[in-house]
Amino acid sequence: MRSRSQPWLLALFALLTVAPLAAGILYALAYSLGLTGLLNTGFTLAHWQAVLGAGVFWQALWFSAAQAVGAISLALALALVVVLWRPGAFQTGLLSFAIYLPLTLPAIVVAFLAFQGLSKSGLLSRIAYALGFIGGLEQFPDLVNDPAGIGILLAHAGMATPFFILLLTQLYEQERVAAYADLAATLGATRRQRILKVQTPLLLRRAFPTVVLYALFVMSAYEIPLLLGSQSRPMVTVLAVEKLQRYNLADIPQAYTISVLYSVVVIGATLWLLGRQKTQ
Amino acid sequence: MIILRSMPALVAAALLWLAGCAPPSAEKPGKAADELLAMPWDSLEHSARNATLTLMMWQGDPLINAYMNDYVAPQLKQRYGITLNIVSGQGAQVVQILMGELQTGKEASAIDLMWINGETFFQLRQIEALWGPWTDKLPHAQYINFENPFIGIDFQQPVAGYECPWGNVQMAIIYDSLKTPRPPADRAELAAFVKANPGRFTIDNQFTGLTFLKALLIDIAGGGQALSGPFNEAKYKQYSAELWAYWRSLQPYLWKQGRTYPEGVAPMHQLFANGELWFTMSNNDCEVDNKVMQGVFGPTARAYVWESGTIQNAHYLGIPRLSANKAAAMVAANFMISPEAQLRKMDPAVWGDGTVLDLNRLPPEWQERFRNLPNRRHAPPREAIQANALMELAPEYMIRLAEDFRREIIQQ
Repeated sequence: MRSRSQPWLLALFALLTVAPLAAGILYALAYSLGLTGLLNTGFTLAHWQAVLGAGVFWQALWFSAAQAVGAISLALALALVVVLWRPGAFQTGLLSFAIYLPLTLPAIVVAFLAFQGLSKSGLLSRIAYALGFIGGLEQFPDLVNDPAGIGILLAHAGMATPFFILLLTQLYEQERVAAYADLAATLGATRRQRILKVQTPLLLRRAFPTVVLYALFVMSAYEIPLLLGSQSRPMVTVLAVEKLQRYNLADIPQAYTISVLYSVVVIGATLWLLGRQKTQ
Repeated sequence: MIILRSMPALVAAALLWLAGCAPPSAEKPGKAADELLAMPWDSLEHSARNATLTLMMWQGDPLINAYMNDYVAPQLKQRYGITLNIVSGQGAQVVQILMGELQTGKEASAIDLMWINGETFFQLRQIEALWGPWTDKLPHAQYINFENPFIGIDFQQPVAGYECPWGNVQMAIIYDSLKTPRPPADRAELAAFVKANPGRFTIDNQFTGLTFLKALLIDIAGGGQALSGPFNEAKYKQYSAELWAYWRSLQPYLWKQGRTYPEGVAPMHQLFANGELWFTMSNNDCEVDNKVMQGVFGPTARAYVWESGTIQNAHYLGIPRLSANKAAAMVAANFMISPEAQLRKMDPAVWGDGTVLDLNRLPPEWQERFRNLPNRRHAPPREAIQANALMELAPEYMIRLAEDFRREIIQQ
């Protein structure tokens, strides 16, 4: 029997989560169209034209998506290797506790650690120098503040890997992946076939919604790309905040335009994901 | 039964409603302002007793924070009964908060006093977020010479009583005297230096880096007062073209080949301390002394300014138009420009910030105390670099330089 409290709970949920988000997006839309804002003077499409016509926005969007795909792919690959190699390692004992510790690090701390570790004068560079691999710090490769965003990718992958290890460990147990692998073995599957055709597809299919959501989270990151990124190739959030907080108040509507556009992308991706889940 | 089942939702809704209720303001901003300016100072001080004053300021330097938390706050409490609540925020954050308050019709601002200068002052005047004029009311304002262009004019705009001068600094370049015994002293020497030592020089992507670019622009324009006065589009176009051509000639030899720049002086100081950079910069000519004392820089760090000059400017305290504690803000500002507070702030062991007080206007015993302050050990004395002080340019130069630096240099 349907609970009588469900409409109240749904209304409260909408009030607490959806309503503020919708109000924020509507306000940003109004600001970007010149309909509100202290220095705006009425409806205009000038800010939208400026953003859509500027290559830097599309470049930032593409770069953000590429960073998300790259970081998540790397983290997922590492997590899969670990979980398939030792599926029970993180279910009991010290590792089951230790794997949670990296999750407590906020993004800004991870960014600083990555900077201290990967910069030309950082820890890795000093080790390489001590071991004789490089003759001076200028010979150490550019791993942070580089146009390719290697530092950003490694920092995000480092944050995501423990999370995915935990996720895949839970799914491995929940979906009885070991049992399916044993079944496949009895039917003559090799180890390689069991990994590639049974275990990995099972885990990835169940993890897919979480993976997509985490990728969207990485796309929206701010602190890590701010500290480790290059201004010649900013991520979307860094670009939006720069427009919002730099010296020209007339750029603020462009910041809101970027925010609205990006929100459309993220909401669209989330709705696609939900639709996919329903059909399955 | 329905009421029982709905109880969690009702409680949550009630909590939300309560959270939305604003606390009562200490005073009505508009009504009280005129009365404040008409009051005798003793009465104004008395009316500020027991107020809680929210000061928004940059908190990126531990010495400055210690000065405020360990000296200014206790003194305000002890002398005037004012509780100082310091919150972190600067520049664009201040502007964003006040813009939001004005747009939403808020009656009382969350900020009562703020540390501002330059483009922030310009932006706050644009949106009419500042209260004033009020500085003439302060008894200690008699010791400030507002006719001094480095004090009474902020980014080519007269302060006109809308912000109170608090400190005075001049931009300096910091270097390691062991690695660079003879640092470059002009544009030509800098170009030769970076070619001989690639990857060791850069500027930051924020205020200090742009201040360095402004000094270069003034030098290219002929130096001194060449770009003084209101923004001149024709001059800007002419001289910025030369500036970008010069910078592009340096670019391949800069840190990260000039394709990216540190996001502020803090990472730049860290790169200098690590040895990756051989130079860093500061808007405070005394910061090298602070950093050596803190152990962040080595003892061989020194600061200098170019012969062509670096920008000197003051920093200020402003009161939001919607501040509900204007009396307390004025009392606090008056204390912060007192000879005692200014002397303590000027000590290199405390902060090293230049005073805004005209020593000739001070009582003789205070003149003596200011002149007997311990000297800087790693930074040049202010008297030695005063002749190389350039005035800040109109704020439009900063806005255009920031935009064009991104377009002409970073995005190429």
